Amino acid sequence: MAKTKLENLRLGIFVVLGTILLLFAAYLIGNRQNMFSKTFEITAVFKNATGLQNGNNVRFSGINVGTVNGIEMINDTTIQVRMVIQDNMRHHIKKNAIASIGTNGLVGSMLINIIPGLGTSSLITPGDELLSSNKIGTQDMMSTLSITNENAALLTADLLKISKTLTNGQGTLGRLLNDTIMANDLYKTMVNLKYTSYKANSTITHLNDIVGQLNFKESVADILFNDTISGEKIKNVIKNLETTSFEIDEMSKNLNLIISEINDGQGAISYLANDSLFVNQLEKSMENIEQGTERFNENMEALKHNFLTRGYFRKLEKQEKKLNNL
Amino acid sequence: MAERIPSVFEISKILERIKQFFIQIGELSFFARRFFKELFSVPFEFKELLRQCYQMGNRSLMLVGMTGFIIGLVLTLQSRPTMIQFGAVSMMPNMVGISIVREIGPVITALICAGRIASGIGAELGSMRVTEQIDAMEVSGTNPFKYLVVTRILATTLMIPILVVFGDLIALLGSALVENLKGQVSFQLYFNTVFDALSFGDLIPATVKSFFFGFVIGLVGCFKGYHCKKGTVGVGIAANTAVVMASLLLFIVDFIAVFVSDIFYEL
Repeated sequence: MAKTKLENLRLGIFVVLGTILLLFAAYLIGNRQNMFSKTFEITAVFKNATGLQNGNNVRFSGINVGTVNGIEMINDTTIQVRMVIQDNMRHHIKKNAIASIGTNGLVGSMLINIIPGLGTSSLITPGDELLSSNKIGTQDMMSTLSITNENAALLTADLLKISKTLTNGQGTLGRLLNDTIMANDLYKTMVNLKYTSYKANSTITHLNDIVGQLNFKESVADILFNDTISGEKIKNVIKNLETTSFEIDEMSKNLNLIISEINDGQGAISYLANDSLFVNQLEKSMENIEQGTERFNENMEALKHNFLTRGYFRKLEKQEKKLNNL
Repeated sequence: MAERIPSVFEISKILERIKQFFIQIGELSFFARRFFKELFSVPFEFKELLRQCYQMGNRSLMLVGMTGFIIGLVLTLQSRPTMIQFGAVSMMPNMVGISIVREIGPVITALICAGRIASGIGAELGSMRVTEQIDAMEVSGTNPFKYLVVTRILATTLMIPILVVFGDLIALLGSALVENLKGQVSFQLYFNTVFDALSFGDLIPATVKSFFFGFVIGLVGCFKGYHCKKGTVGVGIAANTAVVMASLLLFIVDFIAVFVSDIFYEL
């Protein structure tokens, strides 16, 4: 009888302890799903739920504050996610907080991250809809990475070719890397360039000073830059200049033609221009004429003093004087 | 080489085995129907039920506890290197916790109990049958089915879930010990992570199916022992076939339970 009672006691302890353990486990699981604490519900709308399930955690600044309570497809691009949040979080989450879907680690389950928004905003109330940001999914990242990898492979192949060429000293860059003489020349060029640049710099500074000293307001430059009437006049002048230059050009063509005709023609001018013998004879004739004229003058002077013709010349002088007096 | 054509005798032997299998299933179904019929009829053999619960529950705890502890320990030790390779060693408690609570805990506990309890019931009832004690009980006016079968099936149905709870806890302790020694994970962090990973979708189906496991163990053990034939040799056969059939049925029930819980909980 005593043995039976002891057995019953042990059985009672076994059963009670087992039941308590089971209930405790259920309580712990339920507590983590906010089943036994005061909660409120908020929503967020996403374009893609990316594997989110009911019961997934909701984190606010990295702390578990609730769970996903429902996922509803509103239309083909809108998915509404309902979240159950611990009531004490109402004093911390603001209306401008942003919800995004993430993963718990690289291979963990999906969760919703609520990030506090920037600036000031009022506190959230039950039923509010949070702003949401749709992050790039792992699949998208992987596909982008795949393209990047392909590009990287192509780039690497090209780089390999370039590096081989460079190492072999081919091409401009290869020579640049391997040719020591060229390197020295280049160094000298660089030094010169540096010096030139320094000089150019100082020249520009000097020019700047000169330009700065110019009084634009009262100079021709001002008229050139600002006076539209003068501008129009200058335009006309340039137009006239253009016409004139055209005419000059025509004239010079005509002159060229005349000169060539003179050179090539049979006239007296051509003869005068081209026949040197004739020119010499003409020069001698001119000298003879000059000498003849001098002798003629001497003869005339002698006639003035001759007693036969002296009266005639005096008569002429008197007539001239009369005319001058009138 | 020409293929050997099975003889008519061989074919008829196979057909006979298939027929026997269906007969066994049919008899087992009738046995189960009788159990439910007797379960709700007076008088209730409460004292015998408590005795059987003690025998099957308390007496199996040590075995289940040790098995669970070793399973938890070994599972963690074996999985750890692979998880390290994947860089997911921090997910060890999640993985082990879900594995133990969902599947390993209930199945291992049920298999251990099938080995210990189903064979015990089969041998006990079988020996009672061959020594005509059951017949004597019927003659004396006691309902042997109610006294021997209903109490045992009910005891296994009630005790296996509790053993599963203890088995799960001890297995998790074993796993936590390895994590604590090898990964410097505190017990608090380990159990926090485990319960973070668990949901009612893990706990409820596992608990419900462990009731069915208990029922199957008790039913098969009692059925084999109650219908024991061929004298003392039959006792051994009853004990043996009880374990084999119970283990097989456990996996079939497990499959159905997972299938059904998948519909309700989207595992």
